[in-house]
Amino acid sequence: MRGIRAALLGSALAVASAIGLNGAAFAQGQTLRVGMAAQDVGRLDPHFAVSTIDRVVVAWMFNGLVRFKPGSINPAEIEPDLAERWESSADGKTWTFHLRRGVQFHGGFGELTAEDVVFSLRKAGTAATSAFAADYRAIESIEAVDSHTVRIVLRENIPSMLGILTNYSGGYIVSKRAVEQRGDTFVRNPVGTGPFALDRVTPNQSAELVAHAQYFRGAPQIGRISYRFIPSDASRDLAFQNRELDLNYGRADQTWVNRTRAVPNTVVDVFEPGELAIINLNTQQPPFNDIRIRQAMAHAVNRAELVRFRGQDVSREGQSLVPRGYLGFSADNGLLPADPARARALLAEAGHPNGITIRAIHTQLPEMLNMMQVVQQQLRRAGITLDLQVVEHATFHQQIRQDLSPMVYYSAARFPVADIYLTQFFHGRSRVRTPTAVTNFSHCDQADSQIDAARVSTDPEEQKRLWAEAQRILVQNVCGVPLIETLLVFARRDNLDYGYELKGSMSLGPLITEASRLR
Amino acid sequence: MALFPLPRFAGEGWGGGSAMTGFVIRRLLAAVPTLIAVLTLVFIIVRIVPGDPALVILGDQATPEAIAALRTRLGLDRSLWAQYFSFITSALMGDFGVSMVTGRSITAEVAAVLPHTLDLTIASMIFGVVVGVPVGIWAALNRNGVVDVAARVLSLLGLSFPVFVSGIFLLLAFSLHWRWFPVIGGADLADYGDRLHKLVLPTVALGLIMAAYITRVTRSAMLASLGEDYIRTARAKGVPWRRVVWVHGLRNASIPIVTVVGLYVGILLGNSVLTEIVFNRPGLGKIIVGALNQRDYTMLQGLMVIYCFLIVVVNLITDLLYGVIDPRVKAE
Repeated sequence: MRGIRAALLGSALAVASAIGLNGAAFAQGQTLRVGMAAQDVGRLDPHFAVSTIDRVVVAWMFNGLVRFKPGSINPAEIEPDLAERWESSADGKTWTFHLRRGVQFHGGFGELTAEDVVFSLRKAGTAATSAFAADYRAIESIEAVDSHTVRIVLRENIPSMLGILTNYSGGYIVSKRAVEQRGDTFVRNPVGTGPFALDRVTPNQSAELVAHAQYFRGAPQIGRISYRFIPSDASRDLAFQNRELDLNYGRADQTWVNRTRAVPNTVVDVFEPGELAIINLNTQQPPFNDIRIRQAMAHAVNRAELVRFRGQDVSREGQSLVPRGYLGFSADNGLLPADPARARALLAEAGHPNGITIRAIHTQLPEMLNMMQVVQQQLRRAGITLDLQVVEHATFHQQIRQDLSPMVYYSAARFPVADIYLTQFFHGRSRVRTPTAVTNFSHCDQADSQIDAARVSTDPEEQKRLWAEAQRILVQNVCGVPLIETLLVFARRDNLDYGYELKGSMSLGPLITEASRLR
Repeated sequence: MALFPLPRFAGEGWGGGSAMTGFVIRRLLAAVPTLIAVLTLVFIIVRIVPGDPALVILGDQATPEAIAALRTRLGLDRSLWAQYFSFITSALMGDFGVSMVTGRSITAEVAAVLPHTLDLTIASMIFGVVVGVPVGIWAALNRNGVVDVAARVLSLLGLSFPVFVSGIFLLLAFSLHWRWFPVIGGADLADYGDRLHKLVLPTVALGLIMAAYITRVTRSAMLASLGEDYIRTARAKGVPWRRVVWVHGLRNASIPIVTVVGLYVGILLGNSVLTEIVFNRPGLGKIIVGALNQRDYTMLQGLMVIYCFLIVVVNLITDLLYGVIDPRVKAE
């Protein structure tokens, strides 16, 4: 017996001495420690950076010809970045960009030249080398006029030429030499001109970035960024509370926001772009090929309740089939109000006096599933029974693109110009199961002429009128039912100063610039 | 005097070193068909599961044209037979290729995290054995006494607490309250102190479950063993009680314990994902889940080969231990 006790005591002592219970010091230097909700980064070639975790970090490493003013997503505030100035022809189809001189790529890849810009934009516009190729369809040619001048010619006008050249999606400029030299490994060894360069990626743990001392706006004040992959929300929050993180990816949830605001020396940032959630209704398939049932759906949804569920600070009611704040957004569209009694009457009129059951495929992602379950209860009040078939997220994406669900809950943010949202979700060319498909799950095409005319219009007022008309047509046809817009949420220690006021970020995370610092 | 004399491993344990080597080689060769069968199943299953890797990689704005281009680049447009034979032949030559998502070598990805998985598995196993076996014996020796009841209740609690609950409690107490350990558990592999430091909490969380299981198995095996005639004979011959328990009793109770440990180690290798997530550690489990979510076929296939191989090795070690513990197994 004594032997057993001795063995137990011995093991305890061995463990205690081995670990050295000395109160670990988690020193905080000029390394910014960021916690992200992900297992790992994916592709750091900016033209393939599609997930939030990739977009956030890519924005710290790359520049575009132009950029959104840090902290803003307002297209009216686009300012020079790698291009110091530009001019366009009278018809708006020929654009000439003059590059800054002396901009250096990371890792000794030399000075940025027009050749890099031409290479990057051609790469961004090619389906085999970019996930954003469709955005560059309107470009007819890109050529280097001289070592620091680039000319872009468009086939037709597009609503925001500068938009596709910003520090967003395909607009990032890469080093031609690095891409050619590194080939397929460029996705994990990217080379840009941004304030931070990739040092290394430790799989499943972190991406480490170092300051780019030769950054053209000046050497960053933060020396390193440790971008940690922490998929568990609870563990990430604990690490933040334990002061092991300076910046933490947050949850768009009022309870989380309130709890985190109560943590000492903490600031919670809630910022744009809002992701608009829409229930897209397939107008070509029963039961939604009957507009009365689509109208019943619209009357059954109560957006104010959904906002209360998600949180007043982090969400707001959807008012159209385009997110608020986008250039061309219009709330004057005849959106049907919540009215369960009217919904029941419409169902009865459509031959369903005892209600109707609708089967829908939905993702198991908790934030999307929770919201859909609330909608499910709202629909029940109006006599609509929603039979949710919950599947894994990648399966969801594949199956909704095969038209296997008559209604599709989809939440997305896009470049803040109405054309992109309207084209991808509601233009006939974007219907799923067609060769030019994007994400038109409703199969609506009633506003195609307005969307097309607005895209090529050179008159901004006419453009806005056409976009407003398109929204009115789509809302009246109930191609989709807007739910809520959910904003982005990050928490930071109050000693982290971004160096600008954060109101929005197209990279879906705070930009860390040369001016950002840890006080 | 022991009823089963302890074998001298290299000499008599397996009838000489060459016999043991032969046994190991035969077992490894026998594993090859198993490996091929598993690989075939994995190949089929990952392709049956809906979800297109090209769509996952390119995101929701990708056009069919871009998706088709990427599928060609990834070799997914080839016939299933062509993909299968290329996969099997490469795997048998030890070439697992590159991840579809990251483009990194699968061998490099696995090599980067395998030490973390082995650290956790081995440490949890040691914790489970060091805690579970003595407590199980103690409980058996005090059958229906306070110690026995306490051991049974505690082991039931240990089995009932999933890692994501016990792990969070441990982090709250030892990281947030006492600040002894960091919440972020990924260690620098070259820094052994850091590695050991960050291993403690996950080991306790995972090892507690294993200890609970081993406690219960040890208790029942010891109860059965201590009731045998040879125990009575040994005591009648005046063998000291401690020797009766540790040598005669425990030795005969060891086969089920080793079986459980062997099985559990196999489970730990792939199923420690929750521990890895809660304690923010890299590991095989996390990579498997990530690869599954992203439909990274090549990564999944490569991981399965490695996982299978590790299971074969663990089973082989378990079988060898049977022979060490019980010469009758060796004779068979």
